[in-house]
Amino acid sequence: MAPIEDVSGPTSRTRSRWGSRLDRREGRTAFFFLLPGLIGMVLFLVVPIIASVVLSFTNWKLLGTPQFVGISNYVRLFTADPQFWPVLRNTLFFTAEYLVLNIVISLGLAVWISSLKMGQRWFRVVFFLPTFTPGIAVAIVWMLIFAPGGFFDFIMRSMSVAMPNMLTDQTLAMQAVIIVSLWAGVGYNTVLFNAALDMVPQSYLEAARIDGANAWQRFWKIRLPLISPTLFFGTVMTAITSLQVFDQIYVMTRGGPGNATATLGYAIYQRGFQNFQMGYASTIAWVMFAMIMALTAVQFWLQRKWVHYDN
Amino acid sequence: MTTKSRSRFSLALDVLNHGALTLVALLFLFPFFWMVTNAVRSNAEVTAIPVRILPHVFEWDNFAKAWTQLPFGRFFFNSMFVASSVTVITVIVSCLSGYAFARLKFPGRDALLMAYLGTLMVPAIMLIIPLFLIVNSLGMVNTFQGVILPVAFGTFGAFLMRQFFLSIPMELEEAARIDGASRLRILVSIIVPLSMPAIGLLSLFTFIGQWNNFLWPLIVMTGSDNATLPVGLTYFQTQQGTQWNFIMAGAALSMLPGVFLAILLQKLIYNSIALNAGMGGR
Amino acid sequence: MKLTTVLAAAFLASSAFIATAQAQEQVNLTWQMWGDEKDAALWKSLADLVTEEYPNITVTAQISGWTDYWTRLPVLASSGQIADLVAMQSMRMPSFYSILEPLDAHFASDGFDVSAFETSIIAGLGHDGTQYALPYDVGPWMVYYNRDRFAEAGVAEPALDWTFDDFKAAAQKLTEGENYGYAVQSFDFVAGPVALGAEYFNDANQFDVTNAGYAAAVGEFVDLVAVDKTSPVFASGAGAITGSGRFAAGNAAMYIDGPWVLQQTKDSVDFNIGVAPLPRGEGESRFITAGSGWGISATSQHKEEAYKALQVLTGPKAAEILASAGRALPGRLAEQKFWYDVAAKDVAGTHEVLDYMFAHSTPFRLNEYWNEFENLITQYMPLALNGDSTTDAVLADIQNQLPF
Repeated sequence: MAPIEDVSGPTSRTRSRWGSRLDRREGRTAFFFLLPGLIGMVLFLVVPIIASVVLSFTNWKLLGTPQFVGISNYVRLFTADPQFWPVLRNTLFFTAEYLVLNIVISLGLAVWISSLKMGQRWFRVVFFLPTFTPGIAVAIVWMLIFAPGGFFDFIMRSMSVAMPNMLTDQTLAMQAVIIVSLWAGVGYNTVLFNAALDMVPQSYLEAARIDGANAWQRFWKIRLPLISPTLFFGTVMTAITSLQVFDQIYVMTRGGPGNATATLGYAIYQRGFQNFQMGYASTIAWVMFAMIMALTAVQFWLQRKWVHYDN
Repeated sequence: MTTKSRSRFSLALDVLNHGALTLVALLFLFPFFWMVTNAVRSNAEVTAIPVRILPHVFEWDNFAKAWTQLPFGRFFFNSMFVASSVTVITVIVSCLSGYAFARLKFPGRDALLMAYLGTLMVPAIMLIIPLFLIVNSLGMVNTFQGVILPVAFGTFGAFLMRQFFLSIPMELEEAARIDGASRLRILVSIIVPLSMPAIGLLSLFTFIGQWNNFLWPLIVMTGSDNATLPVGLTYFQTQQGTQWNFIMAGAALSMLPGVFLAILLQKLIYNSIALNAGMGGR
Repeated sequence: MKLTTVLAAAFLASSAFIATAQAQEQVNLTWQMWGDEKDAALWKSLADLVTEEYPNITVTAQISGWTDYWTRLPVLASSGQIADLVAMQSMRMPSFYSILEPLDAHFASDGFDVSAFETSIIAGLGHDGTQYALPYDVGPWMVYYNRDRFAEAGVAEPALDWTFDDFKAAAQKLTEGENYGYAVQSFDFVAGPVALGAEYFNDANQFDVTNAGYAAAVGEFVDLVAVDKTSPVFASGAGAITGSGRFAAGNAAMYIDGPWVLQQTKDSVDFNIGVAPLPRGEGESRFITAGSGWGISATSQHKEEAYKALQVLTGPKAAEILASAGRALPGRLAEQKFWYDVAAKDVAGTHEVLDYMFAHSTPFRLNEYWNEFENLITQYMPLALNGDSTTDAVLADIQNQLPF
C-alpha cells in the first residue's frame, strides 16, 4: 500500500511540462474515467452506507416503520448492554493473536519456501488452496474435526493427551476459531511475502555475504527491511478483515460456549438478522467501523518507525 | 575432497529441508483430505464415534448423487455467469478509475481516493438491507443484474490498479501524448498491455471472491434454478436434518474450478503478486 | 416515420390491454417455501392440485433451504417483497404474524371449520386469538430410542407415562464408555422442562427463566450430562455431531426430536427404532407441539385467490399426498392415518404414543423474543453441561440478555 502522499510525484511533473491550461481538460477526462465507477459506488456503496448510519439512530425492527431514537442506541451500547464489553474484548483478543500469528507464520513459510531449490510453485499453490474454498465449507470441515467426539478429540485420546473438547471449552473455543482462520488466511500473505522476498536483488545479498554477514544477519539487516512495505500492506489488509471475523464463528461456535467467541461481526449478525434489531445492529457496525479506522490510522502512523521506503 | 563432502552435506540439508516442508504441507492439506473422505461415507458415519479415518465403505457415488440430487449443473452455470460478469465489469471500471487516480490531475483527487479506501473498512454485512431496498426499487430482485451490479463496483480494484499504474514509467506514455493520442487510447494500447499480470491478479481475486460469495446471491435470488453454488449447498440442510456427506461432496466439486485455475495461473499469480510486492516498495 | 410510431404505440397499447384483460382471469400466485429437491417435487404436485381445482389459478413455489429461509424472510419482508403464499413455522409466528393476512374474516365468509385440524397446531399458527396460517404438519417433541440397545442392556421399553426417574435410570443403564444412553440437544431444555411441569414464562407471557420450577427442571437434565455423564456435551455451533447424528450412528440410545424427522431417521439407521413420550415429572404428562403451515401475505394483490389456493394446499388431498410420502404428519386429523401407514410403519408404538401425546398437549407459550431465547440456550447451556458454570448462573445470564 503506497502512501497517498506519493501521488504528487507524477502529477507535479505533469504540471510543469504541460502547463496549467490543460488542467481543466485533464479534469474533464478524469471525470469521464471515474464516472462509471462513481455511479456504481454512489448507488451501491455510498447510499447504503448513509442509510446504515441513519438506521443506527432508529429502532427499526425490520418489520414495520423505523422510529428515530436519537443516540439512545449508542448510549445503550456503551452503558447498558451487558454483552458489549465482552464482545469488544473478544474481538480485540482475536485480532491481536490472529494478526501476530498470521504475519509470523506466513513470513516464516515465505522464507522457508524461498530457501527451496525446487518445487517452490507447488508449495505456493498448496498454501494458497484454502483461498479457493467456499468459506462456509471451510468452517464445516473444521467443525467436523473439532466437534465433540470428532477427529481432533480422537487423535488427542489416542495420544493419551487429556484435554477438554476445543469447542465446548471456554478458553479453547477461541483458539479453535483462530486455528481455522489461520489455515484459511495464511496462504495469501505467504504468497505475497514470498514474492517480495524473491524480488530482493541477489547482488545485495551477495555483497553482504562477502562482508561476512551470516544468513541470520542477512535476513534481519537486508531482506526484512527491503520487504517491509509489502509486510505493511499485508498487515493492514489482514487487520481490516480480522476485525470483521464472522464465517468461522457462525458455523463452529455461534458465539459460544457462553460468550467466549462472540465477536463484533457475529454480534451484528445476531442482533440484526436473528433478533431483527436492525437499528441497534447498525450502531454496533459503526462502532466497529470506527475501530477499523482507528487501527488502520495507528498502523499508518507506526509505519514511519519500521517501514523502509526505497527511492 | 572437502568440497565434495561439503556439497554432499549441503545436498543432504536440501533434501531434509524439502522433506520437512513437504510434511508441513501435508499436514496443512489434511482438512481437504477430511473433506473428501467424509464426502464418500454414509451420513451416519460422518458423525459416528469412534472416528474412522477412512470410510467403512467408500461411497464414491455420493459425488454423482450430490450432483444429481440438486441441479448442480445449473448452479455451476449461474456461478460461472455471475463471477465472470462481475469480473469483467470490475476490471474495466477499475482500470478507468485506477488510471484517473494514478495519472490525471483533478481537484479533490486525494480526498476521493481516501473515500475509496474508507469504503473498504465498512462492515459489508451492514449494507445488505439498504442494498436490497435499492435493488428492489430498481426492480432487479431475482435478476442476474441484481446479483451482479451491486458487487461489481468495489473500490479495492481501483486502488489496486492505481498502485500498479504508478509503477509504470511515465516516459512510456509521454511519447504517445506528444503524438496526440487521447488518454483513453493510451490506457487501452499502452498501459493495459503492460498491466496484464495486474489485471490477471484482479480478475482472479474478483472471480474467486464472487465464486464463493454467499449472502448476497442468497438474498437477491429466489428458487433453486437461480441459485449459485454456495447457496445451492445449503439445500442439503433440510428441516429433517443435514446431509453432511453431500455438502462435503458438493464443496469439493465446487472447489475444482478454483484449484484448476490456481494451478493453471500459478505463473500469473506469482508474477503479478511479484509486481504487487514491488509496488509496495515505492 | 410518424405513421409507424403511431402504429407501434397503438400496437403496444392494445397488447397491454389484452394483457390486463387476461390478467383478470389468470392469476399466478407465488409461494414462498423451504425444502430440498425431494420436497420440491411434492410442493409441485400440491401446486398442481390448486390448478386442477381452480383452472385460472397457478401456483409457483419459490424454494429456499430450510436454514436460509429464515435469513431471507425478514429481508424480503422489510421491502414488501414477499410471495402471495408464505410458509410459517409455529415457533416463528410471534415474530412474523404482522406480515400475514388474518384469516378469520375469510373463514367467516365461507364457514370454514378448523376443527378438522389438530387443535394444538391451530393455536400454534395463530397469535392473540387471530388465525394467520393453516398447518400442513404437526408434532410433539418425543423420545426416539434404539430398541436394539434397549434389548441388549435389558432395559424395559418406555411406558406412555414413564417418569423422569425411569428415563434417567434407562440412560444410566444404557451408557457404556463412548456409547451414551442419551444425547442432549439444546431444544431439550424447552420441551423437557415443560414435560416435567415447569414454565419458562411468567403470567404476563414474559420470560422468567430463573423461576425455581424451571431452574430445577433444567437442572435435572443438566445433571444427566454434568453429573451422571449419560450424555455427551453439545457444542453451541456444531450442528453435525448433535443428538440426531449420535443417535443415527448408534452412539446414543435416546434423543429428543419431532415426528418430522421420523422418515429420515428410519431410513438412515441400521437398527430398530421406537418412540416414546417425553418423561413426566410428579404431575400429569404434558407436551408441547409444533408444526408448519402456510399463510397469505398481508401485501398480496390476490388475497381471494390465495385463500382458495391455501384451502387446497392444506386440504385433505394435499395432506394425503404429504402423509403418504412420509413428508409430514398432517395437521388434518383424518389424514394422519396415511402417515402412520407409511412413515411409521416399522416404528413401534408410534400411533399410540402420538395419540397419547396429542391428548396431553399443552399450549406452546411463545412471544416475539422466542428466537433469541433459543439462540441463548444453544450458546450458554454448554457451560452448565461441561461443569464450567452452574445451571442457575447460566439461566441468570440468559435472563439478563432477554428483553422484557
